[in-house]
Amino acid sequence: METPRTIVRDAVIVVALSVAAAAAFNAIRPAGLPWIADREYETMVPCPEPLGEVDSVAPNDPGIHHERTLLIDARDDDARAAWSLSGAVAVPFDWLEPVPDGKVRELVRTRAGRVIVFGDGGDPDSGRELARELAGRGMRNVGFVRGGAPALRASSAGEGGGR
Amino acid sequence: MRWLWIPLALLAPSIPVVTTAGPCDDLSADRKAVIDAVFASEHPYDGCDDTFAACLKADPVHPLVRRLADWMCSKAARGADAASLKRSLERRGLTMMRPGKVHAIASEFDAVAGCTRAPVRLTLYACARCPFCSKILPELYREATNGRLARRVALQLKAFPIKSHKWSTESNQALQTAIDLGRGWEFLLAMFAKFDGFHPDRIPGLVIESGLDRTAFADMTAKPSVREHLVESKKEGLRNGVEATPTLFLNGRRFLADLDTETVVDCVLEELEALGP
Repeated sequence: METPRTIVRDAVIVVALSVAAAAAFNAIRPAGLPWIADREYETMVPCPEPLGEVDSVAPNDPGIHHERTLLIDARDDDARAAWSLSGAVAVPFDWLEPVPDGKVRELVRTRAGRVIVFGDGGDPDSGRELARELAGRGMRNVGFVRGGAPALRASSAGEGGGR
Repeated sequence: MRWLWIPLALLAPSIPVVTTAGPCDDLSADRKAVIDAVFASEHPYDGCDDTFAACLKADPVHPLVRRLADWMCSKAARGADAASLKRSLERRGLTMMRPGKVHAIASEFDAVAGCTRAPVRLTLYACARCPFCSKILPELYREATNGRLARRVALQLKAFPIKSHKWSTESNQALQTAIDLGRGWEFLLAMFAKFDGFHPDRIPGLVIESGLDRTAFADMTAKPSVREHLVESKKEGLRNGVEATPTLFLNGRRFLADLDTETVVDCVLEELEALGP
């Protein structure tokens, strides 16, 4: 039966064994940690935006209209109301707030082979920024349309792809 | 009494000249071995074409060579090894030799500390919830206002919210409000002084601590312009390639050297010397 005394004894044994194992490992590793730090450790690093790698896509790229492509419109409601590509999913990009986790999960669940984002085409382009954010949140094979919606609209005008 | 000068004049050459020991004079044996190896192989990026070891034997030693040698000795004393010293020197050269683009940084939606008319402008894109910023920015502020950079640098603060930081939007909107009210640095320093205990509910207390009027702050916060300015500040940072905080620009050039206070201060002093009187 366990008593407070046996619990303390077992804890002391576990701690002692752990310390012995750690000290033994530190003794045999090539550059062991000093028992007393002889210099300051540099632990501070810049805080990065969680962004991923994306590629750019020409506005007339045939992959934009591929059935396995998930098209995302990064613009706000007003801009989308004026024009968008049919089939594009609305994910308005916010310059300050991250895309909600639920929305990211919803996009991941589509199991699209390719994700292409288009934004306002500005500098910086909201489409590129949203694509980078989604890639940084774990989505794969993400790209953005160079020139954003204005370039896409100009390109699709000849093909009748917009609405 | 005039004769008293004669023995003093005779003794003068034997009186040791009192000099201040530089960072390279106080190194332990193992640190000295590290710095000797670096000096034997590395060249200063300007001021002398030879290795540091040879350049330091010149008479006189070029001021930049002396500055860089002292800086590397200080780093070696703090534990830097040869490889990291070489990388540090290379990154510093990339910043100071002006090979890159001069970025467009607007003088709006910002807070400036130090001397606004100084020939050197150090721009800092920072997030109000960035732990690294909370350490280095107060140090740079002290240097710019009361330290080695006093009256020598304009320290320009720009908000760059990092989305992954908790309370990023709330804290940076509060910071932008303070910036728009003309007390951005004071507010940021008050916020950084209590960095770990931050919560949006504590913003009103920080407003008072930073010398802002609570009513004026509340009125300003309600204006859509604050968010617009914050978004514009972030967009400018993105246009300039900012992806992490803090990111520094020295007279519009990306600061690629080590992000520690000693290096930043030394680079600003070097920039001042390069610009001349």
